[in-house]
Amino acid sequence: MATSRIRIPAPLTKGRCVMQKQGYWGYIFTLPFVINVVVFLLFPILFSTYISFTEWDLFNPPRWIGLDNWVRVLNKHEFWVSIRNVFVFALIFVPIQTLMAFVIAFMLNQAIRAKGLFRLFYFLPVVTPWIAGGVVWVWMFNYQYGVINWVLESVGLAPVKWIDSSHWLMVISSIAIVQVWKGVGQSMIMILAGMQNVPKEVLEASQIDGANGWKQLTKVVFPMVTPMVYLVMILSTISAFQAFDVFLGLFGSITTGIPERNMVPNLLVYRDAFLLFKMGPASATAWLLFVIILSFTLFQKYFEKKWVHYD
Amino acid sequence: MTKTTHPLLKVLMYLLLIAGAVFMVFPFIWMLSTSLKTVGAISQMPPQLIPNPLNWDNYVTIWNKVDFGRYTLNSFFIVSIEMVGSLVSSAFVAFGLAMFTFRLRGLIYMIMLATLMIPSQVTMIPTYFIWKEFGALNSYYPLIVPSFLGGAFGIFLMHQFIKSLPKELYESATIDGCSPPGIFFKIYLPLCKPALAALGVFTFMGAWNNTLGPLIYLQDKELYTLPLGLLYLKSENVNQALLMAGAVITTLPVVIVYLFAQKQFVQGIASTGMKG
Repeated sequence: MATSRIRIPAPLTKGRCVMQKQGYWGYIFTLPFVINVVVFLLFPILFSTYISFTEWDLFNPPRWIGLDNWVRVLNKHEFWVSIRNVFVFALIFVPIQTLMAFVIAFMLNQAIRAKGLFRLFYFLPVVTPWIAGGVVWVWMFNYQYGVINWVLESVGLAPVKWIDSSHWLMVISSIAIVQVWKGVGQSMIMILAGMQNVPKEVLEASQIDGANGWKQLTKVVFPMVTPMVYLVMILSTISAFQAFDVFLGLFGSITTGIPERNMVPNLLVYRDAFLLFKMGPASATAWLLFVIILSFTLFQKYFEKKWVHYD
Repeated sequence: MTKTTHPLLKVLMYLLLIAGAVFMVFPFIWMLSTSLKTVGAISQMPPQLIPNPLNWDNYVTIWNKVDFGRYTLNSFFIVSIEMVGSLVSSAFVAFGLAMFTFRLRGLIYMIMLATLMIPSQVTMIPTYFIWKEFGALNSYYPLIVPSFLGGAFGIFLMHQFIKSLPKELYESATIDGCSPPGIFFKIYLPLCKPALAALGVFTFMGAWNNTLGPLIYLQDKELYTLPLGLLYLKSENVNQALLMAGAVITTLPVVIVYLFAQKQFVQGIASTGMKG
């Protein structure tokens, strides 16, 4: 121990020199990622932009058609339906998930018994494969034999058509419920981690100052976890706009086609590209979706200052 | 704060927590319950929670109909390779970014952050085209090769961690005549265990639950992963009991892994927010 303490300070400056002289090692170590970026990011971005201006079926050479794909996609009814759906989906899903995650995290941060068990239960859907979650929810949503409608009927309510409803809003809301089931555990763990970082002294001090439970929650705990709540909101917004797995899980064999009224953009991309082999419109749709996600994230960022507190 | 909680409030909290837990867990119970029903019991009203008789034959039928044994092995195979690849490569690249000063370091770091913004659907079609040109469609290469090249999220996570380790470690190892790769593999990689565990959790969940990748790249049924096997079963229009038996088989391995590594899962998720 003593010898090492003597040895380290002396070569310190020499070591720094070595590291700078060994700069080429930096390139060697980062090479895998540079290859990754060039092959799986830079090239795809350029190529995907190019494809969006062509007619291409993946097998024959692409044919340049200018802005046609973009015009066609933007003039299609189904595109706007899919945008409407994904916005409504996000509007239902993000607030419910965030609020639920916050409330559960707050309760699990109190002196509660069986905390570990609750955490285990809430997190279970997060690790469950989407398809498995999807098939069981479809079964529970079943109009005739579904357990949810059975519960409704046994308390004297009328059965509801959930994901088979002819109204898109009902379908989108049902899907949002499933998405909350799948994702709330992860958001809850993140917010809980934020809450556990609130120093005990701060809470005690606020108590001495006479803050009751509610005041403590709104004036002390909430402001201190806003960065985490914000992160959870951003992440769930992005996942809502990119929704795909939940649709695959619920509707399964996409080949048979999901009705236009229930479409979301990512499904359009998948259908156009891998079922219809229309790479042009698929790429244009993907880029449009990217622009929407980006502007929405920037929009949320703009309002960040108004309610998120960093230290 | 705990002492002042009103008893009535506490009762309310328990009720809420239990209601929430039922919402989370009931689908699993229902999955299991339906998977043990006879054809007649599936559509019976009111539904039975504990089926009578318990019909274990569904599992035998489904195991013979769909090669779930093989799909389980396939899933484990892909997931383990992806985990090794992504853990080692992310740490490797992060080590380079954290330890050496070189001219393009800032640029590479910035690109890494930028890649977190690019959604996969934009790059999906060209990537598919690349694998098609390599003749690697219908193989595991498109799923596992990219994981060996380091992902932005993983590199970011590892970079934050390696930066927090004392630099003297590197220097004294250099003095002792260790080469940079040696230093990485012998000293830094073992020290990164906590961060690797967190990244491992994410890689595991992402790889195990990945459906889109296998769906577009794998055609031969022998190559299917578990979720793809279940998707195939769903398209076969089998009865609900058989479908739920398939869902149980698909869910069970990942739940077992989760139960054993619960701590890593929770800490891994919790640590993502901490970087911000």
